[in-house]
Amino acid sequence: MNATAHIVAPEEIMAFIDGEISVTEAQAVSAHLEDCAECAALADELRATSRSLVRWEVEAMPPRLEASIKELAGKSGNGFASARPRAFRGSRWSPWHWRFWAIGTGSVAAAVLILAVSLATSHRNDRQPFVEDSIQRASESLESVDGALADKMATDLRPRTEGKDSKERRATSMAQVSTSPSAAPMAGVAGMMGDRFSGGVLAPPPPPQSPPGGPMIARSVSLVIRVKDVDHSRSALDGILARYRGYSAQLNLTRSENTARSLQASLRIPAPELPSALADLKTLGSVENESQSGEEVTQQHMDLVARLKTARETEERYRAILEQRTGKISDVLEVEQAIARVRGEIESMEAEQKALEQRVDFASVEIQLSEEYKAPLNSPDDSAGTRIHNAFVAGYRNAKETLLGFLLFFEEYGPSLAIWLAILALPVVLIWRRYKKVRSRF
Amino acid sequence: MEASAPGTMNDASIHPGTDEREPEATDEKLMAAFTHGSMDAFGQLFSRYKQPLYGFFRRRIGDPAQAEELTQETFLAILRPSSRPSSRYEPRASFRTYLYAVGFNLLRAHRRKTTFRAMFFGAAPEGHEPAVRNTADTEVFLREALSQLDRQDREILLLREFEQLDYTEIAEVLNLPLNTVRSRLFRARAKLRELLAAPASRPSTKTFTEYEERV
Repeated sequence: MNATAHIVAPEEIMAFIDGEISVTEAQAVSAHLEDCAECAALADELRATSRSLVRWEVEAMPPRLEASIKELAGKSGNGFASARPRAFRGSRWSPWHWRFWAIGTGSVAAAVLILAVSLATSHRNDRQPFVEDSIQRASESLESVDGALADKMATDLRPRTEGKDSKERRATSMAQVSTSPSAAPMAGVAGMMGDRFSGGVLAPPPPPQSPPGGPMIARSVSLVIRVKDVDHSRSALDGILARYRGYSAQLNLTRSENTARSLQASLRIPAPELPSALADLKTLGSVENESQSGEEVTQQHMDLVARLKTARETEERYRAILEQRTGKISDVLEVEQAIARVRGEIESMEAEQKALEQRVDFASVEIQLSEEYKAPLNSPDDSAGTRIHNAFVAGYRNAKETLLGFLLFFEEYGPSLAIWLAILALPVVLIWRRYKKVRSRF
Repeated sequence: MEASAPGTMNDASIHPGTDEREPEATDEKLMAAFTHGSMDAFGQLFSRYKQPLYGFFRRRIGDPAQAEELTQETFLAILRPSSRPSSRYEPRASFRTYLYAVGFNLLRAHRRKTTFRAMFFGAAPEGHEPAVRNTADTEVFLREALSQLDRQDREILLLREFEQLDYTEIAEVLNLPLNTVRSRLFRARAKLRELLAAPASRPSTKTFTEYEERV
């Protein structure tokens, strides 16, 4: 009998023996089994297999188990809400319980540790909060200096004298200023804002012997302001300058394609007017950044004055010598040369003094006005074809970059990854083998 | 054909599906009565299924104590169904399917636990007490042969041969498609035949292999 003669599949025969096919099918299979010896042999073998399995008998359920279940069923019938009793054989977990928990706790602790370390590492890279914090601290210290300087200025409104006393006074004032580490550069600002904070709570007691003479402070302010319209703001700026008798040392208006316009100006405002001028400037728009600084130039100024005085005295003495006209002509010429040199020095020092006083009298305000960027409605778009082309080119480049990136990544990290893989694969393979072995047993 | 030893019960012969002595109360009716509070119905179900269910676990687990425990747990799960949908009895399903599905879930959970513990703490001592003393050889021989089958194939074969479930019920208990059950059952039987015949003679193996190739 060859294979083509089998009209029923072996599975059909099995299903027939198991009684899993319909009556008509069963008749067909049964008829075939009578004809086909091979299929009949298969049917016999299947039956024999089942018989050999059925020989495996199980002893009757132990009576104690039966009693135990019946007891539980009785309890359950009396009250469904009763707590679930312990398992039939108690202490099922006890030999493993503690080891299980020990391993569990250990691994959780390890996971938490790894997480903490990685979080700490990433936090260290993130400097932003720290910067904000230090800014806040700086502004706090600024306010305390405000109070200190205001106090000092109130007590120092006497004519200035030169000499030892004044030097001592300056030393005291510097000591006051430097009580806070970041305060020194802010001293000028504090002076400017002094009127607001006069009588500040944080002010230290005034120095016992206050020598006359106020500090000379060259102030500079930098402002970044976002405005709606630069043109409008510019005329407002001119108005403010006129009102406070200031002037602009430099003014720069830029405008480029697809970006907002911006105006940069370097203004000079008379120092006493600075606070009110600043307040007016701030009304131009929303202030994005403001920084103020002051440089104390009192000592520099006084040195200059002293040197100037000496130079003038020297000049006077030379002139006196010249007026006596008792020497040789070469001596006279020498004196003339000396006078010219001293005169030059005096003039350069006078210019320096003037510039210094100018810096003190006129505060420097660097202002930057930037416009909110409004995308133009009728901006000329590229044609659809060009854009499709550009997108295609960009897509091609991106794909190339991505592929290259992959390649580079594997070139760069591949060897170390392979090492790690080899290290980690070993325990995994061992565990897996053990798992397979153990699993096949149950 | 097989000689039942005194004091043993072949659970296939007393199986309720083939039991004709009480035609008036089906398993499903009893289960319905039980869900309405009749403990008597549970008692009847218990006496019908205590031996089949005990055999179910006894053949699948080497340790008799564990088999006893799981038998008890299964009946307990039926007495107090948890809120999980898998452990709820649906009146449409046959009681046998429900019982073995619950038992099978517990068995799987037990196997997971045992495997896990054996992996990390070493194997627990497992008593290999034979199911019945005078059939020890049969048991060892069959256990050995069955252990060489694929896990799922073995499960299907056991459910068919010992629990006498039909193909649809097996598919329900194991959550498998019906065709898979059929083809895997055939494969399991073919393999088992080979394994059982292996020590004696080879010819039958050849026949089966031919059959398999034709399928």
